[in-house]
Amino acid sequence: MDKKKTVKFLSYRYQILAATLIILAAGLVLLPKYEKQEGIRSKQLLSHAISPERYISTDDISHKLISQDPSFILVDVRDEESYNNYSLPNAINIPLSKLLDEDSLTYLNQDQFDVVFYSNDTFHADQAWMLCDRLGFKNLHVLQGGLNTWYSTIINPSKPSEAMPESDFKLYATRKAASMYFGVAYPDQNLGAELPSAPSTPKKVITVEKKKKRKAEGGC
Amino acid sequence: MKELEKTKRISIAATLFILAVLIGFLTYKRPKNTYAFNTKSTLEKITSTDYFLPYSLIENEDVAFIDIRNPYEYNKGHLENAINIPSVDIMSEASQKLLQDLKKSNTPTSLYGSTPEEANIPFLILYQLGFDNLKILPVELSYSQNKLITKESKTETLPHDINGFIMDSQKHLDSSNTIVPPTADVPKKVITVEKKKKRKAEGGC
Repeated sequence: MDKKKTVKFLSYRYQILAATLIILAAGLVLLPKYEKQEGIRSKQLLSHAISPERYISTDDISHKLISQDPSFILVDVRDEESYNNYSLPNAINIPLSKLLDEDSLTYLNQDQFDVVFYSNDTFHADQAWMLCDRLGFKNLHVLQGGLNTWYSTIINPSKPSEAMPESDFKLYATRKAASMYFGVAYPDQNLGAELPSAPSTPKKVITVEKKKKRKAEGGC
Repeated sequence: MKELEKTKRISIAATLFILAVLIGFLTYKRPKNTYAFNTKSTLEKITSTDYFLPYSLIENEDVAFIDIRNPYEYNKGHLENAINIPSVDIMSEASQKLLQDLKKSNTPTSLYGSTPEEANIPFLILYQLGFDNLKILPVELSYSQNKLITKESKTETLPHDINGFIMDSQKHLDSSNTIVPPTADVPKKVITVEKKKKRKAEGGC
């Protein structure tokens, strides 16, 4: 009797197997929707964001500007009006709202230059940094303290009082010299022949090397 | 006899296949902390909406305040009823659950740190993870005799007219000395970045 049953059951075995497969396939449809994630993982983004490495100090930037370091691009993320009113030398203007436009991405998504974002403080610059970092762009930095710190340290450095250590005086001298370079005139400055004459370097044209196109890889 | 062997093999293969699929189902794990918004929509939101909580609501009891400073700072002094979630821990299970609950119950929630800039980072990450109910409290914290002092803080303001300052300093010099100092004329750097060409479609089969 038992044998008969098993034989009967076995004769349906293909139908049973097929039915199971179909049920499983239907189950796939019910799986939760999982969108493809854009950019780096959120955990990674957080660990990048809370490390202070992305900041670059105003002294560093002024040194780089004076020595005409060609390795970086300054990006002003404020609106056009503020940019036209005052901007750092050689900065390009990418308002935050246009950050992800195709024209902007050519400046941001490359690995030849360091990109330094700045705004009035670090608020908008950080936001620009975060979105670009999520997209996996390389060599991104933020100007520490933004233009406000730029003003208080480089353009208008405060004179150290007499009780302060010598290093502060040295720093002040450097910053004062830097501010002269950026156009600030001091009443006590030695006018005459040894005024820092305008550097007469020729116009620099920086071209980003074309990334070599990979040849289409063949199929099978 | 040969025929029987063949069918047996097919059955075994099919059973193994089903087993493999079942194992896949059972071990399926939803990835944690996935983004809910892509960068484009995030950018659109942060440039078009106001994500600052009005400062006058700082003592409002209906608002859930989240202190993103580290526990040491938090214990030194914090807003009344504030919850401490250090920005390092915003993705831990407990804080995600808490934030989910706050979102579900429609409680106005606001992040704050010692400056609005500090709250900016966790705010933006959490926004991208889908917490679009969060706001930033524009507050600046400081201590005076171990008492927490709160002060409204504006971001992205430029109190000094830098260009004006530079001009002024030169004008001042002009009147007293008549010699115009040559201002450093930084040569304009022309940055040309080649547009990336879109890669051609790679051949398939």
